[in-house]
Amino acid sequence: MSLIIKNLCARVKDGADILNGIDLEIPTGEVHAIMGPNGSGKSTLSKVLCGHPDYEVTGGSVTMDGQDLLAMSVDERSRAGLFLAFQYPVEVPGVSNANFMRAAMQARLPKGEDVDAVAFYKQLRGHMKELGMDTKFTARAVNEGFSGGEKKRNDILQMMMLQPSYAILDETDSGLDVDALRIVSEGVNAMRAPFRSFIVITHYKRLLDYIRPDVVHVLSKGKIVKTGGFELVDHIEAHGFDFLKNTEA
Amino acid sequence: MDFPASMSMEEAFALAEAEAKLNAALQESKARFEQAVLPNRLNEDWRFGRPHKYATALAELLQSDTHTQGEANVQHGGDAAVRLTAEDEDLRQTELLMPTIGSDALLGLHLERFGSGYALYIEENTAEPIHIHYSTAGLYTPSTFIMVAPGVKAEVVEHHEGLGEDAGMFVTRNIQVAEGAELKISLSSNNMARYMCITNIQNMGGAVKHLTRHEGHAWAREETVAETYTEGSDTRLFSANSLSGDNILDQHTRQIHHVGGATSDLLYKNVLDDKSTAIFAGNIYVAPGAHRTDAYQSNRNMLLSEKATVNSLPGLEILADKVRCSHGSASAPMDEEQLFYLLSRGIPQYEAQKLVARGFMDDVLARFNGEA
Repeated sequence: MSLIIKNLCARVKDGADILNGIDLEIPTGEVHAIMGPNGSGKSTLSKVLCGHPDYEVTGGSVTMDGQDLLAMSVDERSRAGLFLAFQYPVEVPGVSNANFMRAAMQARLPKGEDVDAVAFYKQLRGHMKELGMDTKFTARAVNEGFSGGEKKRNDILQMMMLQPSYAILDETDSGLDVDALRIVSEGVNAMRAPFRSFIVITHYKRLLDYIRPDVVHVLSKGKIVKTGGFELVDHIEAHGFDFLKNTEA
Repeated sequence: MDFPASMSMEEAFALAEAEAKLNAALQESKARFEQAVLPNRLNEDWRFGRPHKYATALAELLQSDTHTQGEANVQHGGDAAVRLTAEDEDLRQTELLMPTIGSDALLGLHLERFGSGYALYIEENTAEPIHIHYSTAGLYTPSTFIMVAPGVKAEVVEHHEGLGEDAGMFVTRNIQVAEGAELKISLSSNNMARYMCITNIQNMGGAVKHLTRHEGHAWAREETVAETYTEGSDTRLFSANSLSGDNILDQHTRQIHHVGGATSDLLYKNVLDDKSTAIFAGNIYVAPGAHRTDAYQSNRNMLLSEKATVNSLPGLEILADKVRCSHGSASAPMDEEQLFYLLSRGIPQYEAQKLVARGFMDDVLARFNGEA
């Protein structure tokens, strides 16, 4: 069981090529970190995996537990077990957090079955407590008027509710203060399991100090250029991405 | 004119002067009906309303003598609710004086059928909302009069319902809110071949929240004139409508500030699908000397289909100083990022679109209900 990306190429629709042949294998149960300078294609990779309509896959393949991910619609990918915690979670005016989550849970049930409201709210409130979120957020419109940190917590809350098999965290640490970073990381760590994998996209070591990755990849110009262990994180923290110049040479 | 013996000379003069003014206004108003012509494209207020097709047909129906009446009911009205009759001269005069937005001729035809509907004289706080319900399978022309006494808190729910394929309704509504009074009033109308509603809100220092929701009409026209007569008045106008098929919704509003130091706010939103059409023409008028006015107006449209049409014409006319007025209009397809966010959580396309569209409108309801 794994997420296998082979020679994945993608571009902005009618625009420039951004991913230029990504090869990655994320076995189930592992945490992989992806680091890389600005503009290297990290966020594009996460959006392409989820099927964002702004991007066009020009080559390669992605399979998730043997299923052809690229053949699925955006919502099918989610129901099959893929999750993206957005770099910039979107505000949806007028749709309450509770109704939004309920619709997402409902979509996972067989036809004719309904979400058990009591169990749902109990679960929602329980996870909110873990993340230090006020329960008044259940009635508020999705992310509307939330601070940057609150939006990130809300995404992690969704992940806890949906229990995906493969979760991509796209710069989840940006906009979080020290305490929020710790709380969110604890939430993610509590979800680590032999049947679940994480792709953690970040610029900084501080997140990876909390969510310790098994494997670290460096992305540059739309390609994975280096793969290693945690020592790679330490090296980048100390010396930046200058070593990439030597790699390319 | 007879005056009571206890009345002083000054009071008698004041009363005589007021009566003379009213008579002059009534004469002037009668004259406007005589001069009025039926809606046509040359009339700026009917430019996009397809008057040749809908208003002309409505006028012909009103003039024909097959007066199919409808049903009028009130719930929780208590002593406040009075059934209207053709003999109700004071209220007939009120209707005679009411402003329209390009529909004087149609109002004249409505007056000829005056005498059905309800008046609510609300002098005590309403424990539960008063419900007014008009329904018809033919053509019905009721009037609603609502007067809220000083300091009284009232809630009214009005529903205009079409009961058959050819149902039509033309309703006039006069709403007067006294100083310190609070009125929350919602109007929902649905399922008619033709529907027209002219509303005049007169705010004399109270707080009014007014919501309209029109659904399932082949053609509907709303004219709402909200007038502010006293400093400290606060008028909030809301509308949330979902259009589909060939629905046409033609909405015209005026926020008229006769005096300064008052607030009015408008938020009208539509979701349009299929080949539906929405027209919004709003105007904020701040009279000379109505300084320190706060007035806003916003029309937002979400288009779910490439064949849906919106004509949005917000406007300002400011003849005073130190005012804060703004208006805005936006019509756009559903936000793709919002939709993607919902899809990315596994919510199927159809459900996701429904949630985003409903959310777009629920925002209006939340504001009306004071939740946002």
